[in-house]
Amino acid sequence: MSDIVRGDPDTYPAWFQNKKTTRPLIVSRWVPIFLVGVPVLVLLAIVIYPTIWMFYHSLRDTNIQGLFMGNHSYIGFENYATVLSSDRFQDSLVHLVQYLTFGAVFQVILGTVLALTLYEFVKSNAIRTTVLILMVLPMMLPPSIVGTLWRFLLTPSNGAVNQALLDLGLISAHIEWFNAGVSLWSIIIADTWNWTALPLLIVYSGRVSLPPAVYEAARVDGASQWKVMRRVTLPMLKEVIAIAFILRFTDAFKFVDLVYVMTSGGPAQSSELPTYIAFQRGIREFAIGEAAAYAIVIFAISAILITLFLKYMKRVMKAQGFA
Amino acid sequence: MADVTLTNVNKIYGEGPSAVHAVQDLNLKIDDGEFVALLGPSGCGKTSTLRMIVGLESISSGSVHFDDRNVSALEPQDRNVAMAFETYALYPNFTVEQNLAFPLEVRGFSADEQKKRAQNVAELLRITDLLDAYPPALSGGQQQRVSLGRALIREPDVFILDEVMSHLDAHLKFQMLFDLKRLHRELGRTMIYVTHDQVEALALSDRVAVMSNARLQQVGDRNTLYNAPANVFVADFIGEPPTNFFQAQAVESDGDLRLAVDDAKFTLHLSEKTRAAVKAHGGARFIAGIRPQNLTPATASDATSGQTTATLSAKVSINEYLGERSILTAHRGPVSFRALAPPETRSAPDEIVELAYDPANVMVFDPETEDLVH
Ligand SMILES: Nc1ncnc2c1ncn2[C@@H]1O[C@H](COP(=O)(O)OP(=O)(O)O)[C@@H](O)[C@H]1O
Ligand SMILES: [Mg+2]
Repeated sequence: MSDIVRGDPDTYPAWFQNKKTTRPLIVSRWVPIFLVGVPVLVLLAIVIYPTIWMFYHSLRDTNIQGLFMGNHSYIGFENYATVLSSDRFQDSLVHLVQYLTFGAVFQVILGTVLALTLYEFVKSNAIRTTVLILMVLPMMLPPSIVGTLWRFLLTPSNGAVNQALLDLGLISAHIEWFNAGVSLWSIIIADTWNWTALPLLIVYSGRVSLPPAVYEAARVDGASQWKVMRRVTLPMLKEVIAIAFILRFTDAFKFVDLVYVMTSGGPAQSSELPTYIAFQRGIREFAIGEAAAYAIVIFAISAILITLFLKYMKRVMKAQGFA
Repeated sequence: MADVTLTNVNKIYGEGPSAVHAVQDLNLKIDDGEFVALLGPSGCGKTSTLRMIVGLESISSGSVHFDDRNVSALEPQDRNVAMAFETYALYPNFTVEQNLAFPLEVRGFSADEQKKRAQNVAELLRITDLLDAYPPALSGGQQQRVSLGRALIREPDVFILDEVMSHLDAHLKFQMLFDLKRLHRELGRTMIYVTHDQVEALALSDRVAVMSNARLQQVGDRNTLYNAPANVFVADFIGEPPTNFFQAQAVESDGDLRLAVDDAKFTLHLSEKTRAAVKAHGGARFIAGIRPQNLTPATASDATSGQTTATLSAKVSINEYLGERSILTAHRGPVSFRALAPPETRSAPDEIVELAYDPANVMVFDPETEDLVH
């Protein structure tokens, strides 16, 4: 009996009262507790607990043995000092900038251009859908396959890419795709092939949902297509493009898989990204404490950048009366 | 500047069983510099007609001419028309000022000139304090005025205004109607103004084109629509409160033709002219119509004024007092109708009053075609 909560009809929302029902809202008390409780437990288990765990160990000299034996001791910020002063980490930051610029940023630009070209110049819905599906296919492949595929394609001696470039006369000698200085570019090429469809999809759906009446107004006002694109479409898609960018940006900070499959960070650590080092130090070399410090430094960098970016977005949206 | 001619214009949306015939065989000539209102209930095809004139919608059949130029196949930007949209269609990422100035920006006006004209239009529409705001932050009525301003800032051959005052409060609407009328006089350009509100249409325009059910019903000035409505629809739609209609039978006694409203057991007198028309038309059954404005409580002065008035007595059931007038709802048998009375009229419920009318104001329609018998 006491398990039953009877709603007070006077507090029902208007739409419910309008139903002219006399049936009281009957819910077991356990339903809300269950609905809220389960997600909270899951979050605790897979996000909150590991994060706290990581903070803890980033301040200790934990290694795999110490972890299992339970003997590790507090060493203050020594792990952080190791991370920040290591050349390996500083180099990887340079690589990260290269990857962000020519990976994430370029992919968003390319995706936007492709999406708007598809929308403006292809009028048949069937063709549009087909193109979209073809574009999205690479996104559905697991990273190990993408990496392996591009390792084959980019094999210097008899890979398809070099062969094609030779046949077209664009190069006269094989490009050594996996030499130092080039291997990160190879990863970026594979990643672009893999992920450009994400910003493309986001921007395309953003464009589809823009109000058609505005475009009619622009036609009557006499604006050229280019003018409309520059002054109306792109500004209206600003928020959507920003979202695509944030997604690619956050992915960049946890980007490990293709590096691992294609180059293992090599040759000579020349294609390592910060996250890859964290992975390498923690999972391969069992320096748990140091890896945790890596992870937290990376987290801090990305958190600062994203916060600045969101602040900027919020200011823009506020100025336009959206927020 | 241009006159606009629509010839046998049709608009059919979609095809097959779900096709909508939104505009049927529309013929309309709008003179250069004329102010024409397109009036009709919502869904009758007004916006569709406008969109074909502007070039946003293809014409299913027929043609649109500006002067002698067939523009049916031209893009909107090649027609030199300005349009204010029913849905505002403002650029959400521009400030109000940028919205207003965009047509000028596109045409390469200098920044100073853009600013000056935007300021002028904003003053006309009373939105100067909103110039720096963005549309999403504005109310419906404010957005509507910005949208109107964006059309008025240009000097096109034809202005096309679609329900541009529907979201303004009565007071503001009244002022803006006045301003728009003045602006039209100053510019002397063709304006086509769509509305479902007859007050706006009659106040502004040289001629009103009444549409219903995808068809043009009648084009004419206020007096024509009011006194000689082409059919039952126009008689019903124009005028507030709406016309009273009666099922009636032609009866002749002593050479005097009248219309007998059987259910209510009274007969309506007709003018000489209408009698002749009814006789010429033939047939026994008709629809008779009389406007509440032309049916008023008889006073002593009527009898002495020597006017040819007829009277009719009825039982008053409702007296709606509306400030400058009262609307009486009266009964005679099962038939009810409305009459207009001076505001000071006091009538007890169920009181019998004598209502006077001029036989010349009785309109007669064919019951089949619903067209005016004249
Ligand atoms: N794009 C469209 N597709 C299909 N039917 C439409 C379309 N636009 C309007 N209609 C239909 O055409 C009729 C006339 O619409 P409209 O011209 O907007 O009327 P009004 O402006 O007089 O309210 C309506 O029945 C409407 O549903
Ligand atoms: Mg409309």
